[in-house]
Amino acid sequence: MIEIQNLYKRYHGPHGGDWVLKDINLTIPDGISVGVVGRNGAGKSTLLRLIGGMDAPDRGRVIRKGRVSWPIGLAGGFKGSMTGRQNVKFVARVHGIKKSLHKLIQEVQDFAEIGKAFDDPVNTYSSGMRARLAFGLSLAFDFDIYISDEATAVGDRAFKAKAREAFQQRVDHASLIMVSHGEGTLKQMCEAGIFIDQGQAHWYDRIDDAIEAYHRATGLITDVADEDDDDYEAPLPTDPSSIDEQMKALRRESAQIHKQQIIAEYRQESATDDAVIAEIQRERKELRDKRLGIKQRFRSLKQHKREIERKASSQ
Amino acid sequence: MVTNTEQIPDSPRHPLRVTWDVWSAMYLREMIARTMADRMAWFWMIFEPIATIAVMIFIRAYIRGGKNITGAEFIPWMIVGLMGFYLFREAMLRPMGAVEANRGLFTYRQILPIDPVLIRCFVEGMIRSFIFLLFVVVGSLLKINLIPDHAFGVMMDWLSLWMLGVGLGVLLSVASGLVPEVGRVVRIITLPLLLISGVIFPVTYVPAQYQQYLLWNPIVHGIESMRLSFFDSYHSIPGIDMTYLWFWALSTLTLGLVMHVRFASRLKAR
Repeated sequence: MIEIQNLYKRYHGPHGGDWVLKDINLTIPDGISVGVVGRNGAGKSTLLRLIGGMDAPDRGRVIRKGRVSWPIGLAGGFKGSMTGRQNVKFVARVHGIKKSLHKLIQEVQDFAEIGKAFDDPVNTYSSGMRARLAFGLSLAFDFDIYISDEATAVGDRAFKAKAREAFQQRVDHASLIMVSHGEGTLKQMCEAGIFIDQGQAHWYDRIDDAIEAYHRATGLITDVADEDDDDYEAPLPTDPSSIDEQMKALRRESAQIHKQQIIAEYRQESATDDAVIAEIQRERKELRDKRLGIKQRFRSLKQHKREIERKASSQ
Repeated sequence: MVTNTEQIPDSPRHPLRVTWDVWSAMYLREMIARTMADRMAWFWMIFEPIATIAVMIFIRAYIRGGKNITGAEFIPWMIVGLMGFYLFREAMLRPMGAVEANRGLFTYRQILPIDPVLIRCFVEGMIRSFIFLLFVVVGSLLKINLIPDHAFGVMMDWLSLWMLGVGLGVLLSVASGLVPEVGRVVRIITLPLLLISGVIFPVTYVPAQYQQYLLWNPIVHGIESMRLSFFDSYHSIPGIDMTYLWFWALSTLTLGLVMHVRFASRLKAR
């Protein structure tokens, strides 16, 4: 459980400014996964850093009950001149692991799948390899609460899928506080939501409500959400892959049509002849209808897939 | 992979236990970084002070002349002084970059800015002590008289100089973290400090009426005291007092630690 009481935070120094977070009171219960939404710069990452204890609030306090992770997938703490193995050992030692050190190293090695590079200095790694190592390291520890700041957005496709799967299995017996702009990810991983706006945090028992509040505040309609979420992937590989295949194709098609819509709109604006404008308007309407159809289809597919998942999990 | 993850000890570790775990992990990390950063790192770690001291002795012996030291041979006298001064200097300068260099580690909330600072001070002292012992052994083999007359006294003086460096290092690590210019200024004044600390030129050469000003510098006390313990018949200027050095060491250390507590979050944030 995490309790946040009368929390105030601002950044100091020459580039500091006004309160980033102002008088925040929240209680995040055990076993609930929470998604944090808000505009860029609203203070989502700051809140996460405060919860993780990486930064101290100016006023108020954060009470942590249980083991809270560092932000998952953060590659900041690696020393470039040391090998991957040495870096992993260091973090394990800091967390007081002695007896099962070798087992832990083996786990990280298996998860990261970077082969022999595990014994090469970290500054020879590509950014993807670094991310793999960092992610594997965070998941090798058994925390009660995981913190994630856009962590699932790293690595190649295969690794992303794997990471998300591991993540979701972790969430079964631990909770998760995550910042993400991928709304599909949030809806899939989280139950509750926090919407941060103008230094205030608003708690919603359902993540959908939080996302909706966010959309309302930014003046966007909810329907736009799905296309932002282009990194949405199958959470379970055991699922019938044909559904995913279809959904992917639909999304691609939808994006294509959206492009055409934008072009049409531009054309209409620059056109002068009335007949041409009428023609374009007709075209636009057609496109709009087509896109709505695709969306509806997509939604029903998604629903179907959720049902399959639910069945699979209840068995 | 998922089912058998590592259990972090269920009951929260005692704060002292956490600190100990952090220190031992950081000690190993720092040692690896110092000795294995590149393929010749360990060699330079040992050879660099030897080369510096050789150059200093060469300059002092053949260019400047005047190497009559009352009651001590010239080369051991120089080695003792330079080793003592470098111990102090490194213990003071190394921690200044420690907070900046380990900023990435503050992701793990167990690690505080003071930890890399103290570990660097410790590692530096260990490395310098090892090199000094190496000098004594190798010097004795080369028939340079580097066996101290009062070994225990030398150890205490060595420790005192180290503590003086640690005290200033801890204080300056906060100061340079808050005001980066402090680091530059301190680096600039280390050379003049070498000259006014009686490391290269004997303090007895300084006219008697100015010696009292020389004694304001705590390093002089440490180095001269160490030479007095090293060479039985060595004569220094009157007024060498280790209490004065320890006054400096402990007061800077206390102030430094207090400032670390006060500004911990400021040092963590950038």
